[in-house]
Amino acid sequence: MGRTAPTYRQALEERLKRWEAFGRLLTDPEDRAAFERIERGTRRYIAQATYAGSPDLLESILLSALVDLARDLPKRPK
Amino acid sequence: MPSEGWLLDITDSRPGTGVVLWFKGREGGRVETRRVPWRPPFLVEGPRALLDRVERTFSEDPAVERIERVVERPSIFDRRRRTVLAVRARTNFARRRLAAAIDALGEYRALTLYDVDLSAPQLYHLAHGLYPFAPVVWDGAGVRATEPAETIHYVPIPLRWVPLSVGFEGVRKGRIVPDGARVGSIRVGAVTVEGATEAKTLRALVEELAAQDPDLLLTDGGDALDLPRLYDRAGALGLGEEAFFLGREPGSFRPTRPASSYESYGRIYHRDAAFPLPGRFHIDSSDSFLYGDASLEGMIDAARLSRLSLQTVARQSPGTCFTAMEMAQALSDGFHVPWKKNRPEGFKSLERLVAADRGGVIFLPPVGVFDRIDEFDFASLFPHLMVRHNLSTETLDCACCPDSPEVAPELGYRSCTRRVGLIPTTLAPLIARRTAYKRRLKEPGTAPEERERLTRRVKMLKWILVTSFGYQGYRNARFGRIECHEAINAYARDLIVRLGLRCESAGYRIVHGIVDSIWLAPDDPSSPPDPEAFAERVGQEFDLPLAYEGRYRWIVFLPAVTHGLGVPNRYYGLYDPGEFKLRGIRSRRHDTPTLLERAEKLVLDRFAEAADAAGVRSTVPAAVEGLDRIVERLRAGDWPVEELVITHRLSQAPEAYEVFTDSLAALRQLEALGVRRAAGEKVRYVVRDRRARSFRERVTVAERLEEGDRYDPVAYADLLARGADTLLAPLGFPYPVLSARWGTDGEVERPRRRSPERTEQRTLDLAVPELAG
Repeated sequence: MGRTAPTYRQALEERLKRWEAFGRLLTDPEDRAAFERIERGTRRYIAQATYAGSPDLLESILLSALVDLARDLPKRPK
Repeated sequence: MPSEGWLLDITDSRPGTGVVLWFKGREGGRVETRRVPWRPPFLVEGPRALLDRVERTFSEDPAVERIERVVERPSIFDRRRRTVLAVRARTNFARRRLAAAIDALGEYRALTLYDVDLSAPQLYHLAHGLYPFAPVVWDGAGVRATEPAETIHYVPIPLRWVPLSVGFEGVRKGRIVPDGARVGSIRVGAVTVEGATEAKTLRALVEELAAQDPDLLLTDGGDALDLPRLYDRAGALGLGEEAFFLGREPGSFRPTRPASSYESYGRIYHRDAAFPLPGRFHIDSSDSFLYGDASLEGMIDAARLSRLSLQTVARQSPGTCFTAMEMAQALSDGFHVPWKKNRPEGFKSLERLVAADRGGVIFLPPVGVFDRIDEFDFASLFPHLMVRHNLSTETLDCACCPDSPEVAPELGYRSCTRRVGLIPTTLAPLIARRTAYKRRLKEPGTAPEERERLTRRVKMLKWILVTSFGYQGYRNARFGRIECHEAINAYARDLIVRLGLRCESAGYRIVHGIVDSIWLAPDDPSSPPDPEAFAERVGQEFDLPLAYEGRYRWIVFLPAVTHGLGVPNRYYGLYDPGEFKLRGIRSRRHDTPTLLERAEKLVLDRFAEAADAAGVRSTVPAAVEGLDRIVERLRAGDWPVEELVITHRLSQAPEAYEVFTDSLAALRQLEALGVRRAAGEKVRYVVRDRRARSFRERVTVAERLEEGDRYDPVAYADLLARGADTLLAPLGFPYPVLSARWGTDGEVERPRRRSPERTEQRTLDLAVPELAG
């Protein structure tokens, strides 16, 4: 017996497993690196996404990935 | 004239119609007993017509002594008294069976039964103001405790204890004892008992125990081996329970509880059968989680407060102690203890479920080495929150306070403002007790032996307080309620978020946080905030004690093997006075071979000299060179084998294993020696040849290990690379680098083949056909 609903952490890992097939067909190393960057980004904000407690899993995942990418934005030349 | 002394224990009398009180005199420590009739009733509550039926059906039952109607307020939810049945069984041992029959009459739904599974001794304590180890005066008229159980600073009972261990004929210590092995000699404290025949040895043991008259026998594996084997042999030699006994009076040869495997927090454990003794405590240090941590001192404190016998406390979890404390509180408040929890989780919308079913805030720390980090934590945060916000089964969303201002953040659960709940009432004195012990520990004049005693009590209380939270979410916890669990987490999350904002305004930023602990870095390292003052101020603002744990000279947060991001509870660091804090690294685990402990110590000894993060980085090459020398010695083949023993806890039953692993090889080797292990038990072995296909060649089980036995140097160099990776991965030496350096890469690829000795493993051949053949 255990929890009724999976934790955000578990739900995220479950979803990332589904993404793996997508990643497998990325043959260009740059694409592959970009994909891995997104994956890491989604994991980086597990604490915040858990705290937000959204019933929409994808919303939390995408928001995490976006914030991770946006960290780099100001560093780009205008 | 009344006698003075201590109440050692209360046990069931053998016919089950009363209890035996065991006293230890203050002068001379003589032990006396008193047998008193005691058959406490249990209560049955339900619709009047059904209660009538229970009375009609059971009043003539041979197991029933008497059924009466009484007016009580059985449940903690009750505001008014009501008529219930008080059922007294003819013997205490029949209580539970009788209760089950009555429950069946109500089809397990219509009737609620109370006080069924509290033991007769427990109920005797509670009904007479007594508790284990109480200082008492007694005479013909009765027994009286001279101070309450809750007394914080008390004179500890002087217990006489001796170690007991059995030697078997022809069996070296630590080796497998074959079934039917004869008892050779028995050590009782400093005395070795050995008779001309086995029967004489057993009789001599009974005499020796009577002569030494210890209060407590301490064994290492007594529940699994020494006691059951002694009883077996006694039985085989025709010595009955009346002639051979280890307690202060004859007892049963049978265990009070059979051995079992169980799961806790995703791990499988094994519990041995229990062999307690009457009038004398038997504690098996190897099967007692609490003995290792809280020792006798902590367990005595828990026995006092829970009214459980010391032998029960030693064999149970802290959660059992906490539940018993709740039961004691409920009974002393005039309520009764429901037998079965009849409170399913309420219906929730999906949105509410997702919002409510979350734990505390757990950050992912940045990976790498950092310096000048301050660590703080809220002491006993969850118990404090339960007390502060009156979070208890019966006080949450009560009918009497629809406008309560005490509302759980995000969730909106209200707490009662009119009465204090059972959980806070139970917890508040425990928190106060722990604080008092910690305060005394800090006083400069505290003697070393008192310091030790207090430390153990603090540990025991810590475990009890920790489980008090977890049990709120446990489906079988008698007074637990999932909504309480959710509310506690919600308050804790809210606290961390508010604390985060507070840190920023104080000149800190959060580096890491786990539920009730935070690691902070100063914005300006050249002038960090005063941590003590910060803790004091925040503690006052939040009305919760925030403790400053210390400043790290440096701390390393470790990455996950799978994705490389930080892991919340794996780190190691050096506090400013030079004390390590290690979490989640190999030495903290019980299955680590001494080899890895030595390697870790070598690395940490080097790092201990580093004053900051840069110091750690510059010390890494020297540390790795130290490890190189360990690998050289390993490869030379002369590392002492006993330092290479790997311990593995079986996560499943032996027959469920499909892949040929080291553990499976060890299991089969044990099987060949006639020993079976259950899920949750451990196997201990040295890897002999990891590439071997035969279970005899692959490992050597610890039970037949000889000095100078062969081991697999590459397998151990690889294990070392994995162990060192834990510490060094974020410092430029991850596993691939180390295994290449030590030449273990590709060398230890485990052959995924079945052991040729066993052909049952067809599944393996089917799963990896390319490897078969």
